[in-house]
Amino acid sequence: MSDHSHDKSHSPEDYGAGPGSGGTLKSPIFWIVFILVMGAVISWLPLSIIAKSRFTTSEKPRIHIFQDMDQQPKYRPQATSAIFADGRAMREPVPGTVAFGDVQESDHYYRGYERIETQQQGKFEVTYFKGFPEEVTIDENFIKRGQERYEIYCTPCHGSDGYGQGTVHLRALELQQATWVPPTSMHTDMVRDREEGHIFNTITHGIRNMPAYGKQIPVKDRWAIVAYIRALQLSQNAPISDVPQDVKPTLR
Amino acid sequence: MQQTDSEKKESRFIFPAWANYLLPALALMGIGAATYLPAFVGLGFSAKTLNVGYAPKQPVPFSHAVHAGNLGIDCRYCHTSVEDAAFAAIPPTQTCMNCHEKVLPDSAKIQPVRESALTGKPIEWIKVHNLADYVYFNHSAHVTRGVSCVECHGRVDQMETVTQVQPMSMSWCLDCHRKPENALRPADKVTDLTWQPPDGDQRKIGLALKEKLNIHDPAYMTACSTCHR
Repeated sequence: MSDHSHDKSHSPEDYGAGPGSGGTLKSPIFWIVFILVMGAVISWLPLSIIAKSRFTTSEKPRIHIFQDMDQQPKYRPQATSAIFADGRAMREPVPGTVAFGDVQESDHYYRGYERIETQQQGKFEVTYFKGFPEEVTIDENFIKRGQERYEIYCTPCHGSDGYGQGTVHLRALELQQATWVPPTSMHTDMVRDREEGHIFNTITHGIRNMPAYGKQIPVKDRWAIVAYIRALQLSQNAPISDVPQDVKPTLR
Repeated sequence: MQQTDSEKKESRFIFPAWANYLLPALALMGIGAATYLPAFVGLGFSAKTLNVGYAPKQPVPFSHAVHAGNLGIDCRYCHTSVEDAAFAAIPPTQTCMNCHEKVLPDSAKIQPVRESALTGKPIEWIKVHNLADYVYFNHSAHVTRGVSCVECHGRVDQMETVTQVQPMSMSWCLDCHRKPENALRPADKVTDLTWQPPDGDQRKIGLALKEKLNIHDPAYMTACSTCHR
């Protein structure tokens, strides 16, 4: 018997014998509605996860879907390494070696002082150089560079004006740090009378409470800072004879 | 049981009458899927979703908000190499000890710093802004020409914990490489994270600086080998 002839002769009880068989069902079958509703609800789940990751921070590293060659087996600066005992990929130079072009011959430029062996064995006489080494040219750009470097490395303690009222100093006072020694003012006869080489050496190696900045500031920049300190000192201690004639009447 | 007229009529169709309502429902689902899938892929796989907001817990709870914000210490005091090298160096422990030798030397928060200073073993900071290894970003090339730290790193001077705020995706880099005037400022203001263009006109000063610094044209700036080698 063909389906066609069956359709013509069937009784009503045949309809709705199974789900989806068509016929007299008055309303949608439950599982169709269920899937539609659940689908609509679940589709919000990824969206809410996306929203969360867009609007909140996470302590976990970012999700990395496509790795490509993002992480290559090579070292980037300051990375860790399993090869060396200290765990650093960056190596220190072998002790006692000097890099090409890094022979620091000029006492004046690289150290600011010279050591002369005295009659006594192993005793040295140290003299600081006065004035600037021939490696640097004092001009406006150099002093401007010095100002910029001074603002970066010196102002936290010495303050922009050099009186020693920097933010770190003020913070140390606020915290009542017993170990804190106030930074020296640049505008004292003691510092004014110091040789340029002496100030250079102080920046390089530190003094009393002040840490050494030789590692943070390159040689030339240290000399630029010395030049700027001289300008700063002059700005606070200029004789009236230095004031141009035409400006003098405007001074009070 | 007697068959009614309507039932007789219906029985001629394979699908029941309510199936007619499935058609608009299916159309709705189609439209829904057409908006949902692009939204899901576009938002879900975007660098903004995946990259932004990474704020790892560092071994020391160092606050940039205190040091760079309140105390106003210049970025370059610690990140000394940023103007000369491709890499903006994370400072050695000694830089912390410049001050903390005397300020808050007994604080529990800086215990790992003291330990590092005593043992010489570096603190293992976690890199927050991590580009793919085939990208050769150069800090010095950017900051010495007046692209500020804030353009990529955001207001670090207000961050208790450093958080990535920009997607740092290739298209994000290219946005700026196509229009560098949107990010250029006088080179001496790069570490001033609060800097605003004069008269609020970034385009004007940006174009002037672009001309003055002789910044490459977009064809060079967007060439593959500018960033990839």
